[in-house]
Amino acid sequence: MPLSKDRVGGLLLLAFCVTYAFLSQQIRLLPFQENVAFHARTMPEVLSVLGIGLSLIVIVFPGSKARLDFTGYDWVKVVVFLALMSAYGFTIRPLGFIASTSLFLMIGFWLLGERRPLHLIVVAVPLVVLFWVLMTQGLDVFIEPLPTFLRGES
Amino acid sequence: MVEGILIGLATALSFQNIIFVMMGCLAGTFIGMLPGLGPMSAIALMIPIAATLEPSAGIILMAAVYYGAIFGGSTSSILINAPGVASTVATSFDGYPMAKSGKAGKALAIGAYSSFSGGVIAALFLLVAAPSLAAVSLSFHSTDYFALMVLGLVAVAAFAGKGDMAKALLMTVVGLMLSTVGTDQTQGVPRFTLGMIDLVDGISFLLLVMATFALSEALMAILKPKGDADRLKEKEASQNLGSMAVSKQEVREMAPVIGRSSVLGFLIGVLPGAGATIASFLAYGTEQRLAGPEKGKQFGKGSVRGLSAPETANNAAATGSFVPLLTLGIPGSGTTAIMLGALIGYGIQPGPRLYIDQPEVFWSVIVSMWIGNIVLLILNLPLIPYIARVLAIPSRFLLPLILFFSLIGVYFVSFNTFDIQLMVIFAVCAVVLRILDFPMAPMILGFILGGMMEENLRRALLINDDSWSFLWERPLTLTILLIAAACLVAPFVTGKIRQMKDRAYARTTSSGD
Repeated sequence: MPLSKDRVGGLLLLAFCVTYAFLSQQIRLLPFQENVAFHARTMPEVLSVLGIGLSLIVIVFPGSKARLDFTGYDWVKVVVFLALMSAYGFTIRPLGFIASTSLFLMIGFWLLGERRPLHLIVVAVPLVVLFWVLMTQGLDVFIEPLPTFLRGES
Repeated sequence: MVEGILIGLATALSFQNIIFVMMGCLAGTFIGMLPGLGPMSAIALMIPIAATLEPSAGIILMAAVYYGAIFGGSTSSILINAPGVASTVATSFDGYPMAKSGKAGKALAIGAYSSFSGGVIAALFLLVAAPSLAAVSLSFHSTDYFALMVLGLVAVAAFAGKGDMAKALLMTVVGLMLSTVGTDQTQGVPRFTLGMIDLVDGISFLLLVMATFALSEALMAILKPKGDADRLKEKEASQNLGSMAVSKQEVREMAPVIGRSSVLGFLIGVLPGAGATIASFLAYGTEQRLAGPEKGKQFGKGSVRGLSAPETANNAAATGSFVPLLTLGIPGSGTTAIMLGALIGYGIQPGPRLYIDQPEVFWSVIVSMWIGNIVLLILNLPLIPYIARVLAIPSRFLLPLILFFSLIGVYFVSFNTFDIQLMVIFAVCAVVLRILDFPMAPMILGFILGGMMEENLRRALLINDDSWSFLWERPLTLTILLIAAACLVAPFVTGKIRQMKDRAYARTTSSGD
């Protein structure tokens, strides 16, 4: 059985549905709920059956035979960007909005080919400050702009 | 109805809301023009801002972003043959050849006039259809709603085409599965939280939409960067548009096309799952057949009719898709599913009661459609030479900015850094599924409808003493479920009939030889 795109996707989603089905059995039910027609497990159980059934249909009867073709894909860059986004999530509080976001954007621009330091700063920093002003002054959404060590918090 | 229109006018024509319509149209055009980012991403990016506004203003803003994004999508289709969304693919068939022959300005103007007419005519139909359907749907029970939701989910998958139907259905089920994460609403039991407190409230719909659309689109662009030739083409196209004047002869040619395509587009848009893409292709095909052999040959080479038909139809369908949303509370498309999520976020439950309980929201959405279309025509069209320059922004600046707006949009709503990490995980899954050609829109639809579906099913079982017989005992429920079943079977039946016809044709031609 050749591995077409549909089959790979079907297998991945089958794994997801089987895990979901397993976890659905871990949902806690109160004793009196076990005999009623509808309880917290009903929908997940129905969905598990449907999901597993449909995954098998996709695997056995794939709609298209297109094979995976990774030519021209820049995986390294995407992985670095994913790490960058995750790091942004971890730094937004300790570094504050302005420093963390400016860094995030500057590293992003740099990763995609912008090498002039002045351009990195001139595009990122004013935009972040402007955005912060707009959100805090215009829409009343406050976000801490400064890093923890500059906030004077105990 | 007149009273309703007046309420809608009073709300939509307030200074603040007009500003929101203008801002929404402009922002939507900008975002929609960026290849890859369609109305769904545009609306998702606006939700954090809309959430800070009062409901009417928020919905008006999102609706304006919707039309703006469709308009923007058409612009990139015409100028650089890169449709932002599937619904503007048919626009590029004749729009791009026209632009290539030095008439980009004219093509954009024809597109804008057609979109405007389609949107305005369809909003008129909506004005009549929505209240009537809302009145009828007041008699619907939870069993009927459950059946309607099944129909909506099945229809989206059925329209994905025979080969992709199983994939679309599977993605719908995945969306439904994701909607069950969090505390069970009726019994207070945690489900699929993996012991994490951050998942107790479930997955935020905005988070899922941003991760699977805006974020994954940007990551796909990073994964498979465009060549230098494409970038040069975008830059050139955004700078030389030519004249925007449309001749009388062209107007005469467009008028009947607009009339027919508006009706067709609206009717297709009302059907759950069909949406603007099918409407635009159907309108294109219909006009090509009606044009006759002589004019039909011009289709695909820069025909005025070929450009006007899909543009009118996709806008009319976008308006039509608001009918099931506003009257039944059931979204007919991915975009209206996101709007439904936003409405629920406001504590508004769209459906037949919306028309009675919150007339200002109901009518202001309808009235804002006219205002939005007028704004697009008088503001965005003259500004198009400037707005089109967004196509010349280097992707090295644009892509990190899209990532930033997506992440911060979600963070500004919850102020929980866990959400950023969860977005990264969903974005990875979305990128993998996109590479494997699995559709995202059915998943979002499943996610949005999941909670309501479970609630209606539970209620239906409660009313029927835990008996599933409501599925076949209530005629309306049964009829809707039968239609859903027909939607599932139809692609196979029509495929078989076509096969048989082809075989019969091959036999007659071979015996003729």
